[in-house]
Amino acid sequence: MNRIRGSVWLVAALAALATVAAACGGTSTPTTTSKGTITVAGFNFPESSILAEVYGQALAHDGYTVNYKLLLGTREVVAPAIKSGQIDLYPGYAATELEFYNSGAGEANGDAAATTAKLNTHLSSLGLAALTPSAAVDQNAFAVTKATQAKYSLSKLSDLTPIGDQLVLGAGPECPTRPFCQPGLQSTYGIHFKAFKALDTDGPLTRAAFKNGTIQVGLVFSSDADLNQAGLVVLQDDKHLENADNVVPVVRQTVATSEVTTVLNKVSAGLTTADLVTMNGQVELLHQDADAVAAAYLQQHNFFG
Amino acid sequence: MSILAKVVQWFTDPTHWQGADGIPTRLVEHVQLSAESVALGALIALPIGIVLGHFGIFGNLAIGVSNVGRAVPSFAILVIAFQVFGLGDTPIILALTALAIPPMVTNSYVALREVDPDVKDAARGMGYRQLAQLVRVELPLAVPLIMAGIRTSAVQVVATAALAALIAGGGFGRYIIDGLAQQDYAKEFAGALLVAVLALATEVSLWGVEQLLVPRGIRLLRAPAGARVRTFKTA
Repeated sequence: MNRIRGSVWLVAALAALATVAAACGGTSTPTTTSKGTITVAGFNFPESSILAEVYGQALAHDGYTVNYKLLLGTREVVAPAIKSGQIDLYPGYAATELEFYNSGAGEANGDAAATTAKLNTHLSSLGLAALTPSAAVDQNAFAVTKATQAKYSLSKLSDLTPIGDQLVLGAGPECPTRPFCQPGLQSTYGIHFKAFKALDTDGPLTRAAFKNGTIQVGLVFSSDADLNQAGLVVLQDDKHLENADNVVPVVRQTVATSEVTTVLNKVSAGLTTADLVTMNGQVELLHQDADAVAAAYLQQHNFFG
Repeated sequence: MSILAKVVQWFTDPTHWQGADGIPTRLVEHVQLSAESVALGALIALPIGIVLGHFGIFGNLAIGVSNVGRAVPSFAILVIAFQVFGLGDTPIILALTALAIPPMVTNSYVALREVDPDVKDAARGMGYRQLAQLVRVELPLAVPLIMAGIRTSAVQVVATAALAALIAGGGFGRYIIDGLAQQDYAKEFAGALLVAVLALATEVSLWGVEQLLVPRGIRLLRAPAGARVRTFKTA
């Protein structure tokens, strides 16, 4: 997702240090002869740095020499860089990538596989490929507090349909006019809320409104770092109202050998949205370095054998 | 269709005149926030200004502190107060009260200082005690300037209360913030227009109140020069 977060600059500074540290110390390369050099880039927000490190370190463990260009910029910077071969790989988000490469034609939908397939039709002529999308998503999501979840035993958005008229929805002021927000919840899920409270898009107002009970349902991003800390639970988008912004590696075809593809797909297959929330929390709230967080994740999931 | 035509259309749409987001509801919210803030501000500012002005002490301090108050942006107070008090009307009223205080302190201080010393002497000579002199002689003479301060405060507060919408508050600012977010520029324009009209209405109605409060003698003083009653000053 292409957006700017409040803590970007602080984290940018930390991640820049991390990059320098990685360049000096060198990430683990168990084999002595390199299988080749792969340059991994990330967008200018912390989650992208983490994902770039996770994919990059998996490749490094497999014997590739990996260069990192973290916090490279927005998609407007990263896409030309991979087209021209200055970078070889970046962690993308299926629906957002598709709508970028098709110039906003509106082809993305809630199905990750279909969206990625469509994305590949646009990428192939550029010498690029999107691999298998991960289950991990960073997209608009609707959250409730743990108390609300327990009270109505909620797990997915369609659980809200019968009780919507008892709940207040909070989101940015644009929500009542956006298809992914209130109108979508109404038409796709048949949820009619008691009221709508204009707050901010996933910011401090929304958190405060959850805290003092002004709202029961609020718009957040599914991989927000503070979801656990704020005691919020994302309801599953079981009817696929939101576009599938699943994490998907975008890679140059010349680099995407079957071995590289296998390594990257293995990482994607293990990654979940909960992992993203945890790792984002470690980087954005606990101020750990993205490369250390990524290494710990791979270690924990027995990626290094 | 021009933006003006869209704004006219927005105002004539009956759905904009009812419900929780209707103009009457937003008007009540806006007036309530403003009135509470100005009242609270007056409760703090007027006693300070009047007492200091009456005794003629700490004048530079009072005006200096007030002027520093003017320099602190309401938006900054709003955001900080939101961090402290969380969601609700408290941070909004706090920010607006801080905005309301300085003109009222300055004006009431100056108003009391500007009362003719000869008049005060006369009052004392006639046996008025301190309090009676303040209430029955100085305050009536100070009304025009004190009211001017209240009016300035109220108009500033009404105009600034639109900021409330930035921290999820109500009032006409809702239309401005929501219109911007929804790219509904007619709504945004309508919100700005409503704030401006309400500020003007505040000015006019407080001017009316002032006319009722000003003593007849002073009203005569304000008459055209030819018809003016001249007071005699000794040496």
